[in-house]
Amino acid sequence: MTRGHRAGPSPALPAAALPDAYRDPGLVAALAARVRETAAALAAPVKLMHICGTHEHALGRYALRELLPPDLELLAGPGCPVCVCDSALIDAAIRLASTPGITLASFGDMLAVPGSLPLRGEARGDVRMSLLDARARGGDVRTVYSVFDAARLAAAAPARQVVFFSVGFETTVVATAALLRRDPPPNLTILEANYYTPPATALLPTLPGFDVQGLLLPGHATAVTGTGVYRELPRAGVACAVTGFEPADMLAGVLALLRQLHKGRLRVENVYGRVVADAGNERALADLDAVFQPVSRRWRGIADIPGSGFELRSAHRWRSARERFPDAFVESGERASEHAAGCRCADVTLGLTRPDACPLFAARCTPDSPYGPCMVSHEGTCRAWHQYGMARGPIAVRTSSTEVGRGPL
Amino acid sequence: MARYETIRLAHGSGGRLTADLIRDVFAATFDSEPLAALTDAAVLANPGGRLAVTTDAHSVTPWRFPGGDIGRLAVAGTVNDLAVMGAAPRYLSAAFVLEEGFRLDDLAEVARSMKATADEAVITIVAGDTKVVERGKGDGIYIATAGVGFVPEGRDIGPHRLEPGGLLLVNGTLGDHGIAVMAARDGLDPSGDLRSDVAPLASLVDALLAAAPGVHFLRDLTRGGLAAVANEMVTGRPLGLRVFEEAVPLDPSVAALSEMLGIDPLLAANEGKLLAVAPPDQAAAALAALRAHPLGADAAVIGDLLLEPAGVALVETAYGSRRVLEMPIEEQLPRIC
Repeated sequence: MTRGHRAGPSPALPAAALPDAYRDPGLVAALAARVRETAAALAAPVKLMHICGTHEHALGRYALRELLPPDLELLAGPGCPVCVCDSALIDAAIRLASTPGITLASFGDMLAVPGSLPLRGEARGDVRMSLLDARARGGDVRTVYSVFDAARLAAAAPARQVVFFSVGFETTVVATAALLRRDPPPNLTILEANYYTPPATALLPTLPGFDVQGLLLPGHATAVTGTGVYRELPRAGVACAVTGFEPADMLAGVLALLRQLHKGRLRVENVYGRVVADAGNERALADLDAVFQPVSRRWRGIADIPGSGFELRSAHRWRSARERFPDAFVESGERASEHAAGCRCADVTLGLTRPDACPLFAARCTPDSPYGPCMVSHEGTCRAWHQYGMARGPIAVRTSSTEVGRGPL
Repeated sequence: MARYETIRLAHGSGGRLTADLIRDVFAATFDSEPLAALTDAAVLANPGGRLAVTTDAHSVTPWRFPGGDIGRLAVAGTVNDLAVMGAAPRYLSAAFVLEEGFRLDDLAEVARSMKATADEAVITIVAGDTKVVERGKGDGIYIATAGVGFVPEGRDIGPHRLEPGGLLLVNGTLGDHGIAVMAARDGLDPSGDLRSDVAPLASLVDALLAAAPGVHFLRDLTRGGLAAVANEMVTGRPLGLRVFEEAVPLDPSVAALSEMLGIDPLLAANEGKLLAVAPPDQAAAALAALRAHPLGADAAVIGDLLLEPAGVALVETAYGSRRVLEMPIEEQLPRIC
């Protein structure tokens, strides 16, 4: 939103911010042709994976899987921070929101995600409470677009306690870190629920049955961390390409992986150099390191992964909601399993199951009546598949005009 | 009318302040004989044809937004519901629910805006009512309208006439109203380029049907945008629908802001846009008629009706690949990352 820097007749953004060049149909068609040629040269089926909800959205939004050869499978891996958020943290957020005097500030994505507390009086079966349910029962839950909005809420209501539900990957935790270094109002605390993806990514090749040959690494997250955090993956037999989010970026990432596999020389390749520096964002990393330290974190329904989360360092620990409101973090014994009965979110998140292989998908589990977080969050794989109809595979059409002369409609 | 600057509960009590309000604000502004008579019901001439009747409630925050206000929205919304049924809009009634403390000069501005929009659409405001709710129990102003129009003999517009091969036209850029109001609400348009498209479409429909009488389906693309209408057209019917993404007209500012917010302009509301279906042999005439009208300069053919897959609305990308255009489910919210 730059004022006085206009390129067209009336754009709110400068034209350079519009990524038309990376959506150019000619460029995309040329890249898709190279992908098909290179895949054919490999002479064996290829399985690739991305680990970013925004990549899955690009695949759906532009129906890019239709452009890939049939023996190239591109799976969705763990790329949804909302989906892997520990249900115990959601339960804590619900207890905080339900406590008089506390305002819980959350991203909109998180509001409908069920935790593990049962929703009493619900006829649909195994349904769990979400922050929306807490709000309907009188809890003070506010939607914010960033931690800075939460700080404004705290400044506007000094007599209340404002807890920011800090959900997200390394891309969003740096905003929280930057804010805390600027001394926000003392009535603002942080519910630490940020996840750090490289340790989880490193675990993928060790999973039994994991046969993915190449990973599209998340462009935004790598812009923060730099490419070095992934250097062990090629040694574990996985080709790597740091990839952006436009159609040409995605196909360029796929092409880079196929070429590495073709040559038999695996490495971490940066095909998103216009955004990602190999060293990462040093200023953001300095903020992050000054405020947070690594901690083991539970990935919902998957595992406790050492070093995959962030907790406040001792100098900032007084800002931790866990420190200030310990009662909200005490589990009351009524906690059920992490996911509702029959929900296969954990397997979908790991790329072990396609969304449409889950018996609940599009039947009992839909965006307006979701059972699991993968169908709630816009970053969730099930939500993207439902939204763009990806379970249909390539969609063939028949127009009436092709029927002319071949009989009545 | 200068007695008070803001609405008081007594303005809705039926007493003297109510009478002042009706006389000084509504009757004076709307300037219609049936209304000036101050009778319990308007008794009106019937020009013939089948009656089309519609009703609508309007609330919008903020009530004044770039490109329009709730008054223009109420009249245009009602007019458009009649026009897309092929009816000539004729009479309109309006009931106001006002919150105690709403400014009287703001109310006068809303009334003038309604009158101007009604004149544009050649519809007469013939009846009205006012209620006042306590401060904190309303959103400033709500307007409920009803509209009556007359459908000429022989005109048959509706979903029962849809069939594969029909071509889809829109009269201009999509998503302008929804994105402009969201930007106004959240202070997201520092350059001030965004404008709601709110406008009455009666004369545009007249011109369209005169030039292309084979046009057999019309819908205004309000809440839920093109996505909602596209899905309603094919759900439960033996036909599908395809939108060519590259053909959809978008204002560059709307495209840029919706991209930044992760919102699809095909799902955003319009208040001055319609979708028309024309048989292939009349699509060129329909497009020319739309483009010749001031509210259709950016009109385009954006898609077609399919034989298969049935019951589904699709978007065909610039790459020839296809995705499903889902029925909108929830309020669109910006995403985390």
